[in-house]
Amino acid sequence: MMIMKQKIYSVAIVLCLLFGVVLSSCTPQKQRNKYSTYSMDYFDTVTTIVGYENTQEEFDAVANEILSQLREYHQLYTIYHRFDGIENLCNVNELVDGAHHTVTVDRRIIDMLLYAKEMYTLTGGTVNIAMGSVLSLWHDYRSVGMDNPANASLPPMDKLITASEHTDISMMIIDEENCTVTLTDPDMKLDVGAIAKGYATEMVAQYLEARGVSGYVLNVGGNIRAIGAKPDGSSWAVGIENPQGEDYLATVEVKDMSVVTSGSYQRYYYVDGKAYHHIIHPETLMPAEGFVSVSVICKNSGFGDAISTALFCMSLEDGLALVESIPEIEAMWMTEDSVKTESSGWSEYVKK
Amino acid sequence: MTEQKNTARAHRRNDILLIVLLLLVAGAGILYLFVFRDSGNVVKVTVDGKLYGTYSLSEDRVEDIHSGEDGHNRLIIKDGRAYMESASCSDGICVAHHPIFRDGESIVCLPNKVVATVIIDGDTDSPDIVA
Repeated sequence: MMIMKQKIYSVAIVLCLLFGVVLSSCTPQKQRNKYSTYSMDYFDTVTTIVGYENTQEEFDAVANEILSQLREYHQLYTIYHRFDGIENLCNVNELVDGAHHTVTVDRRIIDMLLYAKEMYTLTGGTVNIAMGSVLSLWHDYRSVGMDNPANASLPPMDKLITASEHTDISMMIIDEENCTVTLTDPDMKLDVGAIAKGYATEMVAQYLEARGVSGYVLNVGGNIRAIGAKPDGSSWAVGIENPQGEDYLATVEVKDMSVVTSGSYQRYYYVDGKAYHHIIHPETLMPAEGFVSVSVICKNSGFGDAISTALFCMSLEDGLALVESIPEIEAMWMTEDSVKTESSGWSEYVKK
Repeated sequence: MTEQKNTARAHRRNDILLIVLLLLVAGAGILYLFVFRDSGNVVKVTVDGKLYGTYSLSEDRVEDIHSGEDGHNRLIIKDGRAYMESASCSDGICVAHHPIFRDGESIVCLPNKVVATVIIDGDTDSPDIVA
């Protein structure tokens, strides 16, 4: 009987080992589990959060923190909604008795506007948050056209030209010490769509980094920002959508960095069967032509947001020259006729 | 002597039976794992953040997703891929999206707050995030 028992034990051990091998070959060994969640409440886009934690509760705590921070930035930077007790960009754009008033705002608005001014200079005026009067025409015509496609129309060029005469960013007066903003041209408006969500994403990411958070990646409407690496130390694989087909344009690998894509397929409306997208060229005042998608890899998500928009509006030659002149950024362009171009160091990030 | 031999033989036969039995159990376990893995290939649909339904990618189907007061999206699952055939939304971006089938891929209808996401169990090749 003793021998029999021993045999049963030994076979049981063998079996356990066998099961162990099978199980471990199925699920890769990692201490932490992958969780994800999303929200559609901020910046008129989808926010996705992916993170590794031991438990759902731990993930939820961090995700809620991220979302509540994004909510604050959204409420400060939106030009479409007002919120009780918050002076935001709606208030800055507002006309009272035919003039803009000096508005005292949160420091986070001042910092973003100053950053936007830097980006204006860096991109030679291509990214201009003072284009609000032009962009609001497009926004209004797009909204009407989307609700009623049969009557969709383009904003008239004479209106666009008149509006474009009120886009001088130097008429935005910022008083850093007192945290105030004044638009000195009554016909000008701010539109921070090309920069605010990337900037906010970066601020939230830096806040998390300062708290020692790692193993997360955020996607705020095409602004992807990795916070640390995955728990096993490997990079995040970021797929870049191909609007013209189902294979990704590229899959790149990053840690602690941003991958930002500007695409004509993200927001558009049809007029007489032709699609008109949302990235408006500052000179033609029409949707920028030539590319369907431009992606930028860099550290700072706000920077990536501004640069990807700028590249979308520039010629390939000028864009390549700009990217090669800035250290530690790479870019990939996809033209309307499906020609892909990469900056010199892009391929180093491409997943092998 | 012969009796001892017989018991030894009986023992050996029992051992073999036991091993065969255990191997069968192990085989069934492995089979179960694979079947379980396959059933993990699904499209998860959420409306305004709440789970609306989970549908297997291995069965063709038509699913009408209702949202808000009169929002609807028609999700088609065909040949292991999912796409939006029609939608009440004003922008049509979800309908223009290519069929999804890789882990983590999703189709989003922002106006109707509908998100369809593919979940493939054990897929380690697909990107962690897509933009």
